[in-house]
Amino acid sequence: MTDVIVHPSVARLDTQKPKNGLVSRYWLLATLVFMVAVFAFLRPQLVDSSNIATILRSSALTAIMILGLTWVIAAGKIDVSFMHVAALGNMTTAYLLAGGHGWLVAGFAGVSVGAIAGLFNGLLVAVMRLQPLIVTIATGGICASIAAALGKGTSIRIADPGPLGDFIFTNIGPVPVIAIAVAVLYALSWYAQEKLTFGHYIFATAQSEAAVDQAGVSVRNLLMLLFVFSGVMSALTGVLLAASLSSGQPMIGSSYFIDGLTAVLLGGMMLRIGKPNVLGTTTAILILAVLVSGSALLGWADYQRQIIKGILLLIGVTVAMRAVNGRQSQHPEAS
Amino acid sequence: MTRTFTLPAGSGRFLAFLLLVVLVATAFTLAEPRFLSTQNMSAVTRHMAANGLAALGLTFVVIVRKFDLSFAGTACFAAMTIGYLIALGQPLWIAIPAGIVVGAAIGAFNGVVISYFRFPDIVTTIATGSIAAGLAFVYSNGRTIFQNFMSSGILDLNDARVFGYSLSFVFLLGLYAVAWFFMHRTRYGASFYATGENPVAAYYSGVPTRLYTMLAFVACGVTCVFAVLLILAESGTADTNEGANLLMPAYAGVFLGTALLGRTSVLATLAGTFLITMLLDGFSLLGIPFYYSDGVVSAILLAGVVFFDARLREFLSDIGSFLQPASVKKEKRS
Amino acid sequence: MTAPALRARAISKRFGPVNALSEVDFVLDTGEVHALLGVNGAGKSTFIKILSGVYRKDEGSIEVGGEAIDCRDPKEAIRHGIATVQQHPELVADFTGYENIFLGREAARSGLFSRIERTDLSRRANALLKRFPVDIDLSKTVAEMSAVEREIVAILQALAGDHIRVLILDEPTSTLTEVEKTVLFRLLDTLRQGGISVLYITHRLEEVMEIADRLSVFRGGRMVASMPVADVKAKNLSLAELMLGEALDHVFPPRAEPDAIGETVLAVRGLTAAGAFSNIGFELRRGEILGIFGLVGSGADELAKALFGAIPVEGGSVVLKGHTIAPRSPREALKAGIFLVPGDRRVEGLALTETSIFNITLANLKRASGAAGILKRAGNRTASGEFATRLSLSPPNLSMPVSGFSGGNQQKIVVAKGLFAEADVYIFVEPTIGVDIGARAKLYGLMRELSGTAGVIVLSSDCDEAHGIADRTFALYKGRQIAPPDGLQTRNQLLMAGIMGELHRD
Repeated sequence: MTDVIVHPSVARLDTQKPKNGLVSRYWLLATLVFMVAVFAFLRPQLVDSSNIATILRSSALTAIMILGLTWVIAAGKIDVSFMHVAALGNMTTAYLLAGGHGWLVAGFAGVSVGAIAGLFNGLLVAVMRLQPLIVTIATGGICASIAAALGKGTSIRIADPGPLGDFIFTNIGPVPVIAIAVAVLYALSWYAQEKLTFGHYIFATAQSEAAVDQAGVSVRNLLMLLFVFSGVMSALTGVLLAASLSSGQPMIGSSYFIDGLTAVLLGGMMLRIGKPNVLGTTTAILILAVLVSGSALLGWADYQRQIIKGILLLIGVTVAMRAVNGRQSQHPEAS
Repeated sequence: MTRTFTLPAGSGRFLAFLLLVVLVATAFTLAEPRFLSTQNMSAVTRHMAANGLAALGLTFVVIVRKFDLSFAGTACFAAMTIGYLIALGQPLWIAIPAGIVVGAAIGAFNGVVISYFRFPDIVTTIATGSIAAGLAFVYSNGRTIFQNFMSSGILDLNDARVFGYSLSFVFLLGLYAVAWFFMHRTRYGASFYATGENPVAAYYSGVPTRLYTMLAFVACGVTCVFAVLLILAESGTADTNEGANLLMPAYAGVFLGTALLGRTSVLATLAGTFLITMLLDGFSLLGIPFYYSDGVVSAILLAGVVFFDARLREFLSDIGSFLQPASVKKEKRS
Repeated sequence: MTAPALRARAISKRFGPVNALSEVDFVLDTGEVHALLGVNGAGKSTFIKILSGVYRKDEGSIEVGGEAIDCRDPKEAIRHGIATVQQHPELVADFTGYENIFLGREAARSGLFSRIERTDLSRRANALLKRFPVDIDLSKTVAEMSAVEREIVAILQALAGDHIRVLILDEPTSTLTEVEKTVLFRLLDTLRQGGISVLYITHRLEEVMEIADRLSVFRGGRMVASMPVADVKAKNLSLAELMLGEALDHVFPPRAEPDAIGETVLAVRGLTAAGAFSNIGFELRRGEILGIFGLVGSGADELAKALFGAIPVEGGSVVLKGHTIAPRSPREALKAGIFLVPGDRRVEGLALTETSIFNITLANLKRASGAAGILKRAGNRTASGEFATRLSLSPPNLSMPVSGFSGGNQQKIVVAKGLFAEADVYIFVEPTIGVDIGARAKLYGLMRELSGTAGVIVLSSDCDEAHGIADRTFALYKGRQIAPPDGLQTRNQLLMAGIMGELHRD
């Protein structure tokens, strides 16, 4: 059947577990350091404080958007509606602002539509047990459509980016405040993932929903929560983007689709092999951001970066496959 | 086991589908009489061609129970390859097969790593799709290619008519007919279905399941090139974004068809694609803005998947069974 | 006298027309290990499913510690102190033993946002280990564990709720080695001393003698005996007799006439597959049926799959009609002329949503199609129809999905698939599980008929079946072939060879 993440075949539990050596655990981090070093050597502007601030700011926004997605995928499901939910949150906010509402109302409404979209995804996937890929392709399409309809097919200008705009563009030294906020958010998330039952059950769910259910933990509630959380975080990013760009952009989602999934899946190749996790996601987002910035400084075209991202993702899958190698059955029927 | 109380199965489902088509067509005609005009009907058939071709390849992949998210990117790359060769002055009989080779190669790569090396299908195809979409920019640095298009004859593909229908529609029907025959009348089709339905039983019956899984991806890579070829012919230019819009309608066509007819098949995809195209066309005729189109397709897809979901059907049939004698009920459960 | 840990009175359960259990009375004393014996279909698994809340009883009453209970689901049974460890317990492969044991109980408060106190967890784990000492490393992940370690993790998981009084183990030793078994038995001994009652389902008699205090025997949905294990030795009772009862000789076709036995079709020498079976050798002749009796874990299933090319072998030779073959896949085995009627027909044998014709033709699509691979639809329908008539397929509907047929008729379709494949050797694994008695007779008759033109091997965990259908038999015990030179003549000998690994003389 269809797999979102790489996991060992349960039928062959008796074979050796791979040795998650330092190399396979931290190669992503090493890649990040290496990339920064190479780009900084070739183009010292990379580590200018203004450039660092730009990298961190864009990374921070991506990080908020795909925090929920990280856990959805870690639980063995997939959500490909996240970027359109962000666009919907973005356009809802811009629409209400243009209609004369204040930031408080507009921002709250923007986040709320994300919660509704997430609830919808959760109902279809966790309660009705429908195929998550198909469901979220469809809900994503609906969100994108509504987002475009709000602006009648074009963007909506926002006259005043409001307090959120100030928040996003305030730096402490070279570090944007929002990056600090995201760092705190990710630290809390790491705590929830590693120290609370929450994260424990997410990883257990990916491997055996039956075992988790038998242990008295409701997989359904957990998945509902994850989808709603994913929707809220995506939409929140949409609201922040409205302030950051001073406009509502109905097509803003598309650019995040590949990047978001690449970051989560690439991040899953770090620390916990084959399992998306918040630290891996952070690292992967930074890699992608440094790649974009560094290659722009080198004058590379957009498409060259896209090819590199795709290859990175393939390398990531290969590393994960090698890690779970040897657990595979010798017979094709076991898939 | 009686099948009386489930929603119509087999031929019953097909009648239900036809009824749905008649209802939708009637509704549109009442709202906008032009809907039944020859002009509009031929527009429907033309629009159907590209989406239907992309959906056809995806049908194979879904039949072997996998997903392919790369074919939109593949289509972009193939489109630019064809465009580039045309711009270089190569004849169509070189340019088009070259595009098809590109599609087949990417499909084969997906197929090999997913079926022989067991890479996870969704992630792998997202990655290869992303790479292919990036490679589409290589030929012209992302600029639109249009040189030699007028003289190459590719536009004829769009304008040519056979028996009053556009060539593209005839091609679509022809390919679907071939695919239907292949899937339901040859041993190879049986092997595809066996692989998807129960890979273990298929393996125990001597079916080379890995090979068929791989071939499904190749088919998907090839048909999306056919689809984008029609788009090329219609637009008269090759653009790096040419195939990007194939993904959504293809998934909608396959899964709406599956929902309508009860299982994934060539005919189901044709039915799903037809219904979606008709609805989209009808809405645009009614003056509904373009940006609703994705929403409409998505909503139909979702409604199809939800209302035709097996568990929901079972639930409905259980309600129905309360009205039946107890003995029938018991038989049903055994 | 205190109330027993568990008492069941007059439990009955029907499935449609079949009486699965009739008026079973059962007592489980505090702190005893109680073995439940019986051949396949005797009703023991129905009985434990009722105790553990999976099925609801039709009649009768159950008391735990003197208090009447009526469990609607497994959770309720656990609340009443009855925990069950399934034959293949659900565990999270990448989690450690501890993490699996305490899954759902990691934190002081249940819920999604409770802090997992690692120190507290290890304190509780140590407390648990103090109660039930096991010498395995529970900080390994389940993926790294052996079968017995996983079994122990599952048992400890079941016992981690401190109120559990009754533990039900469903054939825990079927896949364990001798050494592993002692580890498990040591744990059961500790449980016994801790006042926990263990209900233990098994097929293996020597284990009963080793670990159990009492035993109960099920046969045909009734409990036919319940006694202390010591009595068996003292009174020199034959458990085999108790388990088997009357033989169902009438469902089996007559054995082959000596002059009907022809040339050797299949010769197997020293066949070995690591961890499954070793040094298996036999000859199969045309006209006769070879029966192989082997319990779960005996290597019988693996032997069948190895002959069919589905699992690799390390050594030995297979000669089919004079040609040495070494199939590396079922595809090659089919080409060579071997067909397997697999034990799990729903998983390994059938494409359930497809029609009978589709399934029957699947193993020989070459025959089913003509030029360019085009299916011969009329021919296939006719051929399938002939098989359906020959096998009395009911209903004789060739166009309906095979999921709609009963178990027996599904099995007939798998057999028809084999007939269509035109093999030289047919290997049947557990051919009549889930098949009603009428269809059984039909299938046995067909095997006899087949043996006239091809070699037939029947592997079964049902001793009656292996003995009843075959002209010649041997037993598999933990991967070893148990066969005296003159063959296992009686049902009893075969049973003892398969469940004790010994040769007996009656």
